[in-house]
Amino acid sequence: MIETILEARRLRKQFGGLVAVDDVSLKVARGSVHSIIGPNGAGKTTFFNLLTGLYKPTNGQVFYKGQDITHAPLYRRAHLGIGRSFQITNIFPNLTVLENVRLAAQAMSNINFRLWRRAESYTDFTHRALEVLELVGLRDMAALPANILPHGGKRKLELAILLAPDPEVLLLDEPTAGMASEQVPELMATIASIRQRGGKTIVLVEHNMNVVMSASDVITVMNLGKLLAEGTPAEISANKTVQSVYLGELYNVEG
Amino acid sequence: MKAVKTQPLWRRTLQSNIGYLAVVFFLVIFPHLVGWMTGDSPFGVNGRPRGQSVFWQSVFIEVFILTILAMSYNLIFGFTGVISFGHALFFGLGGYIMGLALERSGLGAEAALLLGAVIGVVVCGVLGFLMGLVSLRLRGVYFAIFTLAIAEMVAIYIGRWPVTNAEDGFPLANMPELINPTRNRLTYYYLALLLVIITFLFIRRLMNSPTGKVLLAIRENENRAQAIGYNTLTYKLLAIALAGMIAAGAGMLHVILNRKVGPEILSVTYTVDPLLMTIIGGVGTFSGPIIGAAGLHLSERIFNREFVIGTTSVNIGENWSLILGIIFVVVVLVFPQGIVGTWTRWRSRRGTARAPAPTVRAANAGD
Repeated sequence: MIETILEARRLRKQFGGLVAVDDVSLKVARGSVHSIIGPNGAGKTTFFNLLTGLYKPTNGQVFYKGQDITHAPLYRRAHLGIGRSFQITNIFPNLTVLENVRLAAQAMSNINFRLWRRAESYTDFTHRALEVLELVGLRDMAALPANILPHGGKRKLELAILLAPDPEVLLLDEPTAGMASEQVPELMATIASIRQRGGKTIVLVEHNMNVVMSASDVITVMNLGKLLAEGTPAEISANKTVQSVYLGELYNVEG
Repeated sequence: MKAVKTQPLWRRTLQSNIGYLAVVFFLVIFPHLVGWMTGDSPFGVNGRPRGQSVFWQSVFIEVFILTILAMSYNLIFGFTGVISFGHALFFGLGGYIMGLALERSGLGAEAALLLGAVIGVVVCGVLGFLMGLVSLRLRGVYFAIFTLAIAEMVAIYIGRWPVTNAEDGFPLANMPELINPTRNRLTYYYLALLLVIITFLFIRRLMNSPTGKVLLAIRENENRAQAIGYNTLTYKLLAIALAGMIAAGAGMLHVILNRKVGPEILSVTYTVDPLLMTIIGGVGTFSGPIIGAAGLHLSERIFNREFVIGTTSVNIGENWSLILGIIFVVVVLVFPQGIVGTWTRWRSRRGTARAPAPTVRAANAGD
């Protein structure tokens, strides 16, 4: 039996009369890469935000390691070990690249209310930040203000902020959004290396089919707020309903 | 890596603060300088507060008070990114509590001063905390409007409260002789200057601490700060409580200087002034509020008289608000970072700034 780390149980989210997510259940196995795909408006981003705690579900529950976290706020989930990235680049623009990541490393510590010492004197967090920047390839830009990074650099920084506190579950919201296509393999290589180090569970919301097919263990397909299909990449590719609804002519299934 | 630390700490500290030290030195000798230039003793004439030196001391004490107020406003507005329109509440309540302690507690002047200072700071800290607690879930302009409403409500209520003589307020006579601004204005001048320095050092220390970094993160991107695990409400409450406490201190200095407590200290002026001073000086900088407060208040004092040009006389004082308004619009449109922010930018474009560098240097230096 595979251990479930994150579970959504009959999640439903309604915005006024619009049902964005309708009774979706999902189990994410520890250590797996689980992708959520679906056409525009399928409700995948809403579903994602229910997992991260940005939205409160109208109905249903979210469990993390068997614990009900449906009502746990964003920061509490971060402390439990769930890190999330954002589709729209979401960094601290006027702070340095290093400070962006250092703050993320500091977040899980108990020094946040030490008013009398210099933040820099806690060198562990600076070292951790530099280590993560090295991993994503931003080490040389550590001293620059974050807002002058090019878009690809900001996406990497986004990932570095996510990785700095060493979360167990990474929720990635379209990590390749807005990236030039030649930068995508580099980012996917980084994600693959995170995966190879082991211990991490990755939930990926994507519309870039190539990314999902090559990187995932399990794929969940959503359409019109409902769960349409779930399975391995091969199963999903072969699924006729999925093909008609989502892949259509957009994606030429060859095997 | 260790080679970076070639100079002892005190020397580096001295060097990096040379500008501030020069300003402090100037302000320390300033009353004597004016006294020497004009021939009026800085201690007043015959025990009366007369002469140019004493006059300029009071102008500068006002600057110091506004500086403390602007620095406290900058802590929430400039560093934490929370816009409050209710800052006058803390300034005014601090003043009222100090006034009541001095005049109504029945204690001796020194004990009453101490009591008023402690109670005023604590009450304003708690009030800031409570106000934040009920309203900080509101964001941006909604929070600002809420704070404005609370501050105005208190101002109207106290303006009609019989215990403090409603809109007349009450005079202060009971105060320690040493800091009595009428008889010992020079001592009061140094006291106010000392409090400016303490506030400045406190805020700078705070903003360089791990907590201060979180405040900056909230200003930059509150959602993200939450997503990486910070309960941002707690930090915003802390910032507002601290700012409230500092503003209360400024209010206390103000009422003692004017020897009067009245509802005008709760008026929206004491919200708008620090706001303008912070924006014009430079939002989110350490020296911005100081430059803003000094610049605005001194220019008001200097221009607040009639100027005779040929046969016409212009009373700029009457039109000061108009001029201030124009300056403000120009600053917001042309230099949104204020004087200090624009200056720093200009220097960094010329490649002389070392703003982001120290963090990395500190990192490389290890420990």
